[in-house]
Amino acid sequence: MRKLWLVAAAAVLSLAVAQTAPSLPSYSGPPVTLTFWSWVPGIDKAVAAFEKAYPNITVNASNVGSGPNEYTKLLTALKAGTGAPDVVQIEYDFLPNFIDFGGLADLSKYGADKYSSLFVPWTWSQVSPQGKAVYAIPQDTGPFALVYREDLYKKYGLSVPKTWAEFEANAKKLAQETNGSVQYTDFYSTYAPWFMGLVWADGGRLWTHSGNSWTQSLNSASAKKVIDYWGKLVDNKYAATLPDFTSELNSALAKGQITTLIEAAWGPGSLASRLGSESAADWRAAPLPQWGTDGTFHSGNWGGSSTAVTVQSKHPDAATIFALWLNANGTALGLNWENGGLFPAAKAGLDLPALHDSSKNPSKFFGGQDIAKVYADASAGVPTDFQWAPWFLYANNSFNKYIADAVAGKTGWSAALDAWQQDVLNYAKTQGYQVSGQ
Amino acid sequence: MGWSPARAHPTGRVDDAKTLYLSLFTQHGIRPKVFTGLANYVRVLHDGQFLSSLGTIAKFGVIQIPVMLLLALALALYLDGLRSARWRSYFSLSFFLPYAMPTVIGGLLWGYLYSKGLSPFNQMLAPLGGQIDFLGRSGLLWSLGNIITWTWTGYNMIILYSALRGVPGELYEAARIDGATNLQVIRFIKLPMVAPALALAALFSIIGTLQIFAEPFVLGSLTFVPTNLMPNLYIYFTAFNYGNFNYAAALAVVLAIITFALSLGMLALLNFQRRRL
Repeated sequence: MRKLWLVAAAAVLSLAVAQTAPSLPSYSGPPVTLTFWSWVPGIDKAVAAFEKAYPNITVNASNVGSGPNEYTKLLTALKAGTGAPDVVQIEYDFLPNFIDFGGLADLSKYGADKYSSLFVPWTWSQVSPQGKAVYAIPQDTGPFALVYREDLYKKYGLSVPKTWAEFEANAKKLAQETNGSVQYTDFYSTYAPWFMGLVWADGGRLWTHSGNSWTQSLNSASAKKVIDYWGKLVDNKYAATLPDFTSELNSALAKGQITTLIEAAWGPGSLASRLGSESAADWRAAPLPQWGTDGTFHSGNWGGSSTAVTVQSKHPDAATIFALWLNANGTALGLNWENGGLFPAAKAGLDLPALHDSSKNPSKFFGGQDIAKVYADASAGVPTDFQWAPWFLYANNSFNKYIADAVAGKTGWSAALDAWQQDVLNYAKTQGYQVSGQ
Repeated sequence: MGWSPARAHPTGRVDDAKTLYLSLFTQHGIRPKVFTGLANYVRVLHDGQFLSSLGTIAKFGVIQIPVMLLLALALALYLDGLRSARWRSYFSLSFFLPYAMPTVIGGLLWGYLYSKGLSPFNQMLAPLGGQIDFLGRSGLLWSLGNIITWTWTGYNMIILYSALRGVPGELYEAARIDGATNLQVIRFIKLPMVAPALALAALFSIIGTLQIFAEPFVLGSLTFVPTNLMPNLYIYFTAFNYGNFNYAAALAVVLAIITFALSLGMLALLNFQRRRL
């Protein structure tokens, strides 16, 4: 009798679980073939697993280039009216551009809105900016943490900074100790989203909108605080300005000429594959330094992608199912972490054993540290209401110009943000957006 | 020189009539397009970024084209003066080789040679305490000029060298009999005979310079390259990055008109000089 009661309780319990986490949809339509553009390394493994689970849906995945290289092709195909894939990888910051372009299907028509609870909250507000239409399914995120060379910290007697003040003190100490031959950190002067992520971590906002009217504040007090802080590090030569993903930066890291980086959750995997055996197991991750000591932990986000369905797709229903499965199914999440270093946007993904496997990269590269734990905590500290503008691509390119001026010492750092704000504002206005500066 | 994005894009050749047609409309994303007549052209004339890209390319061409052509001429004269046919073909091939290399590969190769920390040039300079930031703000255009000179000198040299090979041997013989020195042969026979080819090479270079694209585009992954450094780069970003194809079409038409006008001007100048001679 008691046993029976237990069984009944278990049944009720599992029902309750099923209600909080809706199971992924099944597909009963005719056989279809989808095309899929993505630059995630090894995504074909997750795709193969999907085809096994959904025999009636075939997915042809291809890598047409990463980031902007893919976007130029997508934009052209959308404009041409033909040639766009059914399903496509797009980073969060570029989504509003494509939504505004009119190129993405509203997946709430195919039931995607029912699955919002599966994902980390801030990611859902990125793919569904108005809270109604759903333009993509969150794939992965890039919350910030501090990554550093533990061997160099020991060698130079540095301790892991908890605040930005300690971060700067470390930088100064290191410069004095090594006579400037080793730089504490690197400022990614050609990656606007990296800087924006740091503003995000400070609780700053760059764009807000209500209805059709936008407010842009690229030179807000928060943005200026962040840029002045980093500008000082650059001016004092505490921070190098080597662009990310270059062999020059890789070489400086491998030689121990730079000790610390602010990296997104996909950064450790990228470092592990870029540096190979060089400086392997010397790296560690720690929470992002904080501005204040108010007790609440804040982080920002850099990059991370979503999976969208284009308006050219003839099978948006099947495409939606694929996008959901790829980013919420446990098998897919495990495969994508292992092969592509994707830090899942799905809540369930954060507890996957695969993420915490210390014998494999990227954890192995970090001396077996459970770095997924550091990044899961970071993810929880990302403010949820950060928004991008449809003219983000212009803002992104324009940032490089003004920051290059500041790096060269031609303008001050805050002044560079003022000029950036003005330039982007002018551009947005010529494009016909209702936008005001603040 | 380099490639034009409109021509090399995977969706195929966008022909000129279509470009002209597109430039008369305004379209937000893929929403219905609206006929706006010459509005895009009015905007081009007030577009500071585009105008500054034209200024940059003019400054660039005024220095780079003469340097490249003088170098090509010197090499062609040197080759022409060589007695051994084997050495002639060896040198002409090796000078020509950079042109045969895909522009993107050449750009990446130079990008490595230019990088601040890894550059072998900087490693050689290191003991002297010097380090050159080839891709920095003030170095970028010079570095680009070097890549383009490296690529195209051989090509221009071949044009000039072929012209030199076409000079009838009797002329040289006659000059020798008259007691002309080597320098006099160059000054009074070779240079006048090669002048039309030089003019042609200059014309090609002007057209090519206005179309520079791949080199700055490739360097963009290694350093900060303004999106409006060169006109074609700006057109590319406007179309394929910002999705403003109609405005990009207007920019492309204006660039084509400028190229056409410059070519015509150059030809008229040459004809005028020829008639005067």
